[in-house]
Amino acid sequence: MDLWFIISNTIVLAAIYGTLAIGVSITWSSLGLLNLSYGFVFAFAGYGAWLFAQYVTSFGLAVLAVGILAGALGGVLVCAVAFIPIHDKPNFTTRGLIATLAINLVGTQTLMWWFGPRSKSLPEIFGTWKLSLSGMVLTADRVGNVLTSVIMLLLVLRWMRSSRRGLEIRAMMMNPHAASIVGIGVRRTSFYVMAITGGLAGLSAVLLSQTYYISPFGGLMPMIKAVAIALCGGLGSVQGAVIAALVLGLNEALTTVSVGGRYVLITQFLLIIAILLVRPRGIAGLLDKAREA
Amino acid sequence: MLASPTTLPLPASIDRRDVLNVSGLSAGYGPMRVIHDLDLIVNSGERIGIVGLNGHGKSTLFYAIAGLTGWQRGSIKLNGVEVGRTRSQGPGRYTHQIVRSGLALIPQGDEIFHGLTVEEHLDSGAFTPRAWRERAQRKLGILEIFPPLKKLMHVPVGRLSGGERRMVSIGRGLMAEASLFLVDEPSLGLAPKIGKSVIDALMAIDLGTSAMVIAEQNVALLEGRVDRIIGMHAGKLKGEASAALMLHDLSKA
Repeated sequence: MDLWFIISNTIVLAAIYGTLAIGVSITWSSLGLLNLSYGFVFAFAGYGAWLFAQYVTSFGLAVLAVGILAGALGGVLVCAVAFIPIHDKPNFTTRGLIATLAINLVGTQTLMWWFGPRSKSLPEIFGTWKLSLSGMVLTADRVGNVLTSVIMLLLVLRWMRSSRRGLEIRAMMMNPHAASIVGIGVRRTSFYVMAITGGLAGLSAVLLSQTYYISPFGGLMPMIKAVAIALCGGLGSVQGAVIAALVLGLNEALTTVSVGGRYVLITQFLLIIAILLVRPRGIAGLLDKAREA
Repeated sequence: MLASPTTLPLPASIDRRDVLNVSGLSAGYGPMRVIHDLDLIVNSGERIGIVGLNGHGKSTLFYAIAGLTGWQRGSIKLNGVEVGRTRSQGPGRYTHQIVRSGLALIPQGDEIFHGLTVEEHLDSGAFTPRAWRERAQRKLGILEIFPPLKKLMHVPVGRLSGGERRMVSIGRGLMAEASLFLVDEPSLGLAPKIGKSVIDALMAIDLGTSAMVIAEQNVALLEGRVDRIIGMHAGKLKGEASAALMLHDLSKA
């Protein structure tokens, strides 16, 4: 019984954090931008979905779609403000870090000012049914969370594998200099990247709101965890991020069960430091078959 | 005005227009000025060799044409369209536009995407809409030039040997629907035999109305096989050069 709880918790957490981490990872490796405004985009998408559910319809799939769209819009906004003006200036990495952090702070405060500090709840997207499976009870939101995020991730990855834009993004992830030689425009591609990663943030915002609530600062903790998972998986590697999400999700579930939820961050970061000490390039270092340069 | 005083007579069938017209170009990085007031005209259908030692600006010239240097001034006309920019610029900011207007740069040292497969690489070179639509045919064309790539189409480029990478890198450039091909040191870092076969492949390509400029350190590889050879020294083009002339210069230096 306990074991089932741990496993199902692991998978649910891994699905949500993994989605976010892949967003962070793609942004970092293709644009060279560590997007610290991800938390704001996350909350922005959550409030977008909430407004839609409040004033238009609370039909689950529509709310989910609006959440993803709002996230994409937030991503494009961040791109226009924090990436386009400074991406070809010296010290872009540091400046981008500061710019996105500033957007995060300003944005979340604005949301707080606009919507107030009280957290909002979204309608239950996946209904309230339950699934009993040999003594284990699976609630609708858990099954729905995992299925939706896995399906969305597979769609995004498939798109990146098969389409021309995806090829451009992957090329930029591997060698930005060569990408511009081939004729890939950094500015245009950056909008795609930020829209997609923003959409992923929106997705996980709506999914996470099935368990927690939407609040102005609700995106902060998921963002920190996502950045940590992306680091741990090896920035730029999608498989690495998935594996790291599973490992850290398991750690989170185990910690919650054994010593209590308060200690999650402590064990989380101890684990991350341990992994990075042994594999400085993250988990991706184990997977990478191609030699570099 | 021209840095290239003599041009070989071209076959009359080819329409003689300048694909590239560079005048008064200076370029560099930060405080360093690498290219000094350089003029160059490349006609369509021409194959030109630029030879010079390390650090005399061959690669910088190519990068300046592609808009990848730190700063540059002077005029660069590609197919009659001005692509040079006088203000200091973020490197690579306009490169995609220049590429779209007909430039294919095959950079020194294989700027490759180490995780993409050979096939994806070739796809990534087909940047203009037409080249993208015709990419299946174009890939077949590349495989005819470089048959060894046929077996490697689904292998990540990071696992290839140096010679194979060079073929991928050149193939990627040739996928583009370009009127000007800039090939930077195609034989660099390769075993002499493989380097020679890469050059042979470059010479065998039918250019049609487009032009090709090859930068090389090894004059012997180009001697007698290109339409003209221009020497490059300390950021300036030095007119017609030949192996004999270069050897003479070297013994003097």
